[in-house]
Formats: sequence, structure tokens, C-alpha cells
Amino acid sequence: LSDIAVAAVLAATVLLASTISVELGLSVALIELFAGVLVGNAFSLDVPSWLDFIGTFAGIVLTFLAGAEVDVPQLRREWKASFSIGLLSFFGPFVVVALLAYYGLGWNHRQAEIAGIALSTTSLAVVYAVLVETGLNRTVIGKRLMSATFVTDLGTAAALSILFIKPTLWALPFVGVSVLLVAALPAVTPWFFSRYGDRVIEPEIKLVFACLFLLMWLGARAHSHAVLPAFVLGLVMSGHYASHRKEQERMRVVAFAFLTPFFFLKGGMNVSLGALWANLGVLALLFGGKMVPKLAGVYPLARRFTAPHAVFTTLLLSTGLTFGTISSLYGLNAGIIDRTQFSLLIAVVVLSAIVPTVIAQRFFQPHAEGELARDRAGG
Amino acid sequence: MPFSRILVAVDGSESSDRAFAKALELAVLTRAQMTALAIEGPLPAYAATIGEVDEVKREKDAFFRALAERVRAEAARSGVELEVELRAGHAAETISSFAAEGGYDLVVLGHRGHFLRDHLLGSTADRVVEHAPCPVMIVR
Repeated sequence: LSDIAVAAVLAATVLLASTISVELGLSVALIELFAGVLVGNAFSLDVPSWLDFIGTFAGIVLTFLAGAEVDVPQLRREWKASFSIGLLSFFGPFVVVALLAYYGLGWNHRQAEIAGIALSTTSLAVVYAVLVETGLNRTVIGKRLMSATFVTDLGTAAALSILFIKPTLWALPFVGVSVLLVAALPAVTPWFFSRYGDRVIEPEIKLVFACLFLLMWLGARAHSHAVLPAFVLGLVMSGHYASHRKEQERMRVVAFAFLTPFFFLKGGMNVSLGALWANLGVLALLFGGKMVPKLAGVYPLARRFTAPHAVFTTLLLSTGLTFGTISSLYGLNAGIIDRTQFSLLIAVVVLSAIVPTVIAQRFFQPHAEGELARDRAGG
Repeated sequence: MPFSRILVAVDGSESSDRAFAKALELAVLTRAQMTALAIEGPLPAYAATIGEVDEVKREKDAFFRALAERVRAEAARSGVELEVELRAGHAAETISSFAAEGGYDLVVLGHRGHFLRDHLLGSTADRVVEHAPCPVMIVR
């Protein structure tokens, strides 16, 4: 098929995924991922280079948007609980999965590191949806959970950017420009946005995209990944977006309409159903490798900071989706992992988005009104 | 008096509008107290971005605020004082437990909501009939 024919097939797939998502009440990203698996396997479509490029950029935009959602004042207020739970939630599965992949599955050390990173994540959005839906986002437990999730994702972003960096001269401009942008963008933004913003030609979005492309280029030259500076850039911009919701909405519109669908489609199209079928045992092992250290590591701390709902907290911190997909795609694109390994990691990531969420909601969900009453009483 | 407390589930669909109209007629005839319960329904499950969840939540809030105003105005035109409650969660479970907690003696709802999910997993009406603590009237 020609590029334009593939584009037409994928555009129709994206449209269909959106309507299915609305009808079923499921996340559009998950449907796009599944659609990518179906289209890729049914038509034996290879990922064209343009989709590869857009998908990679979309991953960075998603990371920036995730950083921009961070409630920094809340993170500061709850730093002790957030950092202790969040860091353990990252390091536990990272170490266990990496060791399991290296010693148990015979993956090389770089492949094992990608596995560790991809399966150490916690899904901000999955946690957020559960909390908002139940009203728990207004409670202390909900706020601690969100802050801890941000810390876990920061760990994932840091590992992805730092572990694979090569000591070349390009590392200097990558680090230097990252620091400069993180320091300068929040300072420049109020002036730039007030002078050029609020127009249909969207100079604000173009400014952010220009920064992200620059980081991607320098990151690639340094054999690293721009995910950490993109996340931190989003984080330092979160205060601005919190007071300028319209700008954030417009950024989301651009991302959701054109970029993120191709990111998840690309992820799905690279999944080989045959490879998954042939490695169901490995899939189960990796799933256990993510869940067991998450549960065992987070639970004791959750008992201390989010009692009496430690199981609920622990299960939600065991979810994963976007950062797991970003990490796995990085490993695949950089030639670190092969398609079978990628398929296994994505399958575990998707399973971890669904299984712990269903269990948490079905059996351990606290009652928001009761929690708010406890908060008011100082409990 | 056959019914003293009527609970009607509303979701803005045609079917729920018909159920609301019938419940209103009954409330006028029996002088029953009437409550409209709107269930926001679940947010996108397994979302990949906070933005997706936020947007859906905002749309739902705006939709149900408008719905609450509309049903209040309709009830006022019929001379019925209507209480409107908005809850988040799964429709059938929430309607059944709300009816039990509030001591309602009749639940009224439409036979079909506006989600494809209803057709795939069995309708909310079927599940309310199964779990409600009182008589249930399903309006076609």
C-alpha cells in the first residue's frame, strides 16, 4: 500500500476508535492501541516512516502534557508521602523486572533495563479517572495518591533519559539546552503568550512544539531520550496552565485530534499477536514481575500514609499505560528490544491498566463522603 | 395513597424523558414526593491522559446541570416540587441503593439509555428490576 493509502486506512481507524470509545465509555487510547494491533496483524501493515515520526513526537507531547498536569503545591505539601510511596513504586518493579528479564529470560542488560522501566510506571490518567469518578480526588488519600503517581512517573522519565545516554559531546548541549529551557520557558511565557497568544494561528502551541522538537533532536544526538526534559518542562509550565485553562485545552485538542491517535496506533501496529501467543508463559512472568514488587513494596508504606485504604492505593499504583508504552516504543525504535519483546511489554502494560483497576474498584473502593468526613475530623 | 415517594431516573435520553413525564403524571395524581436521580455514569475507563478524563468530566457536568434545570422547570410547571440528585457511578447499582436508602416506594425509568453498552451488557432497567427494593415502572 502507498503511504497515502495507509494514511486513509489509519484515519478511518482513528475515527472508528473515537466513536467506539464514546459508545463503550472506554479510553480512546486503549481502543486505538487495540485497533493498531488488529490493523497491523490483519493487513500485515508495516509502520510507515511518517507514522513512526509522528508517533515519536506524540510520545513527547504526551509526556509534556503529563508534566503539565502536576499539582506542584500539592506535591510540596505531601512531599514525604509522595516521594516515599512514589519512589518505592518505581524502584521495586524496576529492579525486580530488570533482574527477572536479565537472569530469568536471558535478555541483555539494555533490554532488561527497558523492561524494568516500562513495567515500573504508574498510570496518572487511570488513577485520576478512578479518583474523579468516585469523588476521592477531593480527599487527602486521593491527593497523596496523585502526588505519588507523579513521582513514580518522574522516576520512569529520569531512568529513560539517563540510563541510555552515551558519554559523547552531544550530551552537553542536550543537558545544557534542557536546563536552559526549563529555566527560561516559564519566565518567557507570560510575555510571549500575552503578546502573541489567543489567536487561531496558535503561536503558544508552536512555541512549545519548537522546544520539544529541539529537545528530541538533541536527545537523539546524545543517544538519550527527551522524555525527562519534556516532563520537567511540562511540570514547570503547570502553574501557568493552571491559571490559563483555555491554553491547556487548545494544546489538548491538537494533541488528541492528530498526534496521540497515531502514537497509540503505532504502538498497537508493532504488537505481534503470534509472538504473544507463543510466549504466554513469559507474559505471565513479566506481569507477575510488575505486580508482585508493586504490591509488596508499596503496601507497607500505603498502610502508613493512606490507611485504612492501603490495598486500594497499592492496586491503583500498580496500573500503567502511557509511560509504559512510551518506554517500550523507545526501546523498539532505538533497536534495543525486538518486536517480540515489545509485544510482551505492551501486553503487560495494557493488562496492568485493566486488572488492578477492576479489582480496586470492585472490591476496595472507599466511599468518598466517608473519607471527606474523616478528613474534616482530622482522621 | 398508592405511592408517597417516587424516584425517577433521568439521563437526558428520549426514553428517560418519557419516563420522567409518566412519573410526573403519577406524582400529580398521587400527590407523591418526587426525586429525579441523574447518574453521571463512568468516566473513560483506562484513560491514557488526564486531559481525556477532564474533558469528559466537564462535558458531563455541563450536560447534567442543564438536565437538572430542565426537569426542575418541567416539574414546576406541573406544580410538583422536585428534588434533583446527581450521583457518579454505575447506573443500576446507584439507582437501587439510592432507592433503598431514601425509602422510595416506586422507581420509574426508561427502558433504554443512550449508551451502546446498555445493549451489549443488558439494560440498566433489567438490572434495576433485579436489585431494587420496591416496585419498578419501566416506561416504553
